[in-house]
Formats: sequence, C-alpha cells, structure tokens
Amino acid sequence: MPSLRPTPVLALIAAATLLASGCSGGSSEAASSDGDAAQTATASFTWQRNTAGEDEDPVYEETTVEVPVDPEKIVVFDLASLDTIGALGGEVAGAPLDSVPDYLRDHLADDAFNAGTLFEADLVGIEAQQPDLIVIGGRSAGLYDDLSRIAPTVDLSTRGSYTENLERNVTFLGEVLNAPDAAAAAITELEDGVAQARAATAKLGTGLGLMVSGGRLSAQAPAGEDASGRNARGGLIYDAFGVRPAVADVEAATHGEPVSFEFLLEHDPDYLWVVDRDAATGQDQGAQPAAAVLDNDIVKQTKAARNGHVVYLDPVAWYIVFGGVDTTKIMIDDVLQAAA
Amino acid sequence: MLSFLLTAASLFTGVSDVSPLALWNGADEGRAVFLLAVSRVPRTLALVLAGASLSIAGLIMQMLVRNKFVEPSTTGVTEFATLGMLTTMFLWPGAPVPARAAVAAGCGVFGTWVFLRVVRVVPVRQLVLVPLVGLVLGGVVGAVTTFFAYRADLVQSLGQWSQGSFAGIVPGRYEFLWIAAAMVVIAWIAADRFSVAGMGEAFSTNLGLNHRRVVAVGMVVVAVITATVLVTAGTVPFLGLVVPNVVSLLVGDNVRRSLPWVAALGAAFVLGCDVVARLVRFPYEIPLSVVVGVVGAGVFLWLLLRRGTRAH
Repeated sequence: MPSLRPTPVLALIAAATLLASGCSGGSSEAASSDGDAAQTATASFTWQRNTAGEDEDPVYEETTVEVPVDPEKIVVFDLASLDTIGALGGEVAGAPLDSVPDYLRDHLADDAFNAGTLFEADLVGIEAQQPDLIVIGGRSAGLYDDLSRIAPTVDLSTRGSYTENLERNVTFLGEVLNAPDAAAAAITELEDGVAQARAATAKLGTGLGLMVSGGRLSAQAPAGEDASGRNARGGLIYDAFGVRPAVADVEAATHGEPVSFEFLLEHDPDYLWVVDRDAATGQDQGAQPAAAVLDNDIVKQTKAARNGHVVYLDPVAWYIVFGGVDTTKIMIDDVLQAAA
Repeated sequence: MLSFLLTAASLFTGVSDVSPLALWNGADEGRAVFLLAVSRVPRTLALVLAGASLSIAGLIMQMLVRNKFVEPSTTGVTEFATLGMLTTMFLWPGAPVPARAAVAAGCGVFGTWVFLRVVRVVPVRQLVLVPLVGLVLGGVVGAVTTFFAYRADLVQSLGQWSQGSFAGIVPGRYEFLWIAAAMVVIAWIAADRFSVAGMGEAFSTNLGLNHRRVVAVGMVVVAVITATVLVTAGTVPFLGLVVPNVVSLLVGDNVRRSLPWVAALGAAFVLGCDVVARLVRFPYEIPLSVVVGVVGAGVFLWLLLRRGTRAH
C-alpha cells in the first residue's frame, strides 16, 4: 500500500471546516451556525506514530495533529478513548457499535452510526458523516493513513507506562472537550486508586496473569516500559498494578505464552489473575468458561486455588478496553476486591 | 520399541519434576505420582489415541481414493468438520461436547462425500493432482468458515481452538478419543473391504461386495475420527498422509499387515512431536500442530519429490 505523506495540517483543517459546514461545493466561508468560535480554537497532539507494516519492526515518526476544540462529531475506534470522552461529558457520533461494551453505551449519541469494527473502518460511511475528529488506538492504529484523509485523526495507543498514557490521553481529551477541570479531577482520582491498588498488591506475594481461551491457557508477562499497543495488555496486572510476577521471563506476546496446568503447579503463584478471553469477546461459544477450564485436580493443588486466590478479572475491562477513566476504575476495584 | 521409548519420554517430560527416580523415592509426598496420574498419563494416552486414529483415517482415505496423497486435511474433510463446529458454536452456543462432535462428524461425512464426487466427476490424470483438488476444496470451505467467523467476531477463537494442542488435557477432557479408537477397530475389521472398494465399483460388485455401503462406512469412520480429535485437541495436519506412506515404504502395501504399523507409527510420531512441542520453549509450550506441520510438510514434500523416481 503506498503510504501517502499526510497532507499538511492546514489543508486538513480547511477540509474539516469545509466538511463541517455540511455544504456540498458551497463556499468555504460558510461555517456551521453554532460553534463558530469553537471551530477556530485547536488543540494539538503529538505522538510517535508507527509507520511500519503490521509484521515489520516498528518505525516511529513524530506526528503532530491539530484538532478542533469542542468538535461536533467525534468518531472513535479506540474504546478506551470512548470511555474517557464519555466520562468527561462528551458524546461520540460514531464507533464500532458491535464492540462497544454495555457500560460504555451511554457515551454514544442517540443516533450514533456504526463506523466499522475494532480493526477496520467503514471509510465510505465515515466520509459521509463528515466527522470533525477521529480517535484511533491499539487495534485500529493501522487505520491512520486512510482516516487522516477524512478528518483530523489522533492515535491514543498505549506505549510505555499505562498510568502515564492514561494521564496524557485524559489531559488531551479534556483539552479537546473543553473540560480541563473534569480531566484533572479524573486524573487525581485514578492516581489515588492505582496507588491504593499497588499498596494492596504489595502484600499479596507473587502473582501470575493468565488468559484462558478455548480451553487453552496463556501465561501473561510484565511488558515493561517498551510495551506498545496490545502487547501492554497482558502485563497491566504487573506493570500498572504492581503484582510481583511469579515467573519473571515470560515474553510479552500479544496473547501471552501457551502453558500447561503443570506450569501453574510448578511455579505456584500466590495469586492467579485470570482473564476469560472468550467471555471478553462476548462469545458464549460453547468454549468452556475459564472457571470450568481451571476446575481440575492439578489446579486444585496450587496455592492460589487452595487459598481461594484465583481472581477472575472483568474480561471486557482488562482485555478489550484496557484504558480510559471508567474502565481503569473497574480495574482498580477488581484488584482491591481481590486484596480485601 | 520406538513407541515404547517415546511413551516413556512423554510420561517424564513436563514442567514439573517427575522422574523415575522421584517416583521410586516417593519424594514430595507422592506429588510425582499425582502428576503422573492427572497430567502425564492422560496426555500421553490422548496423544497415542489421536495419533493412531488420525493415521488410520488417512490410510482409509488413501484406500478409498486409491491415492497416496490424500488424508482428511488435504481433502477438505477437516475444513468441513471445522465449519460444522463453528456452525454449532454459532447456532447452539453452550452445546455439549458430544453434540458438537456429532455435528462436526456429520459435516465431515458430507465433506468426504463431496470430495469423492469431485474426484470421480473431474477426471484427474495425475496422482499428485488429486490432493491439489482436495486442497482447493478445503480452501473454499475454509474461506467460508473464515467469512462466518469474521462476521460473528470469532476469528481469534477459531484460531485458538483449531490449533492442535494437548496442553490442556486432564482426566475428563479426552475420553471422547476412545470413540476414535473404536473407529480404528472397525477399520481393522473392514480393512480388506476398503482395499477392494478402492478398486472401483464394478470390480467390487464382481467380488460380491456392496460398494456403496463400504464406501459409506469408510467415510463415516474417517469423519468421526477427524471430528473427535478436532473437538478434543484441534487440528493436527499431515499426519494421516505422512504415516501411511512411510509405513508403505517400510512394510509394503498389504493393508492387513501395515495397519498395526500405521497405528503404532502414528502414535509414536505424535508423541515425539508433542515432546518436542513441550521442550522447544521450556517451560512454555508451542502448539503441537506447529511441530507436526513443519515435520509433516517436510516429509510430504520428500514423498512427492521421490515419486518421480519410482514406478507405482
């Protein structure tokens, strides 16, 4: 695919204004009747954009995009950003509707349109809706080239520290939505929550993040500081919430490393933090739920099972969304409840 | 002998320390014995059953089609069975495992029938082209499966459970494979009839054999084996192809004589691959299907290439 250089920012803004005016071929002077003043204010966002293909080593290019403040129509592919926008009082005009979890539904506008899936965009549909801002991240990060031709597009993917990313994204979205105070308050609350959770996990001994899917187990690994996108997901329990890994050297693959039940018994962590992937992706697909998979004689011998320390994390929050204001609160609660 | 050694290797390979020595000393309050009973023995048994029955399934297909290069995964049978399983997941979520296996087996039977029809109708001149036709058929069915999986957001799950792996085998999760073992017994009883049926309808009718019925039995046996292994451990490619061919090189083509060899070598091959899968990235595992695929594909290519030098 030829990767066109992103058009200069000014042209983008001009295009966006033209689009927002909703006139076909009219003069570019015609601004929308409301929010005229708001259209002129912009917030800028800079990030290291990965320009390499999916299976190549990442090549980062610093990208800065100016986006309108108080945009009328926001299209969001990144569910964590959908969460944050809603939490800060904003509303989303378009999203991958089939993938929006129940607890984030009320962040959608009543007439929200379906923008595609978590991985792919309905470019024609989005173009027709003429959004003012598009937010991508994680699974949808690769859509940048296509979407940035339609409207100013920012990529709020996770890279490095989860909490730093959260602060950065909440601050930026607060700027965009003209709600800096709400953003600051949310950040303070989340920082306190994460600090509490870390204090709690410090007393819990070792832990192992475990993903269960289709009857198979994957051990999750601390992703460390260089994690990006979805690779950071499995490591959240260690990296963000301070659980001491029972196994130090699991490589951070997107879905962890396949292990057997024996592995659990051999490394015998004090706590098992389980994400039931099949429950997360909303498929009651006949694949046994994680609890049934882990209900066997080998697991029953482990310290975690004997002490009732097998924790089932909210799969949607930890696996699908893993970011955003309300989702982080759910994650904090999960950890605090386990430690209680 | 080889099988015996590999069985021993399988019993004593794993994350935990279970060695004959530990068993002997009764160390760790019988933990070694416990692990042997609930982890190693079931896994080894499941591998033996799956390996033997899949190889036999390949042998039966080769007899029915009279072609050395067919087996469930090169004729679309596996893909049809997978499609059946996906359909069950989609239309009847939470179906019990036997029901899923039954639907998968039904679709597998249909897949075998389709393949046999295609091969009969399309005059395929060269032996090597038959599995190609099967691969194309499988590709078409696989594409349908992927399309449905994509629409239903099941793509990743499909990948997860269709990847052959015996890492999750514990008592109560592999007993289904005994059905595959029963199929092997049926195959053994009917082996000569399959050979005759492979000679064609006219030939078998002259010998007083009900051709249609024998072919139907063969199809059911192949499909049931494929489906039971699929629902228990996922897909294991190339096995039914490689093992019977190697056996035919070693002991010739008399099915009566080669059948036990095929079963034994199939079991040994899968055991060996699974031990490798457990050791490559110790203490983590890699999917068994990856190991079998790499080794099996290599042997398959070798078999294809050496055909040129041998009259058949």
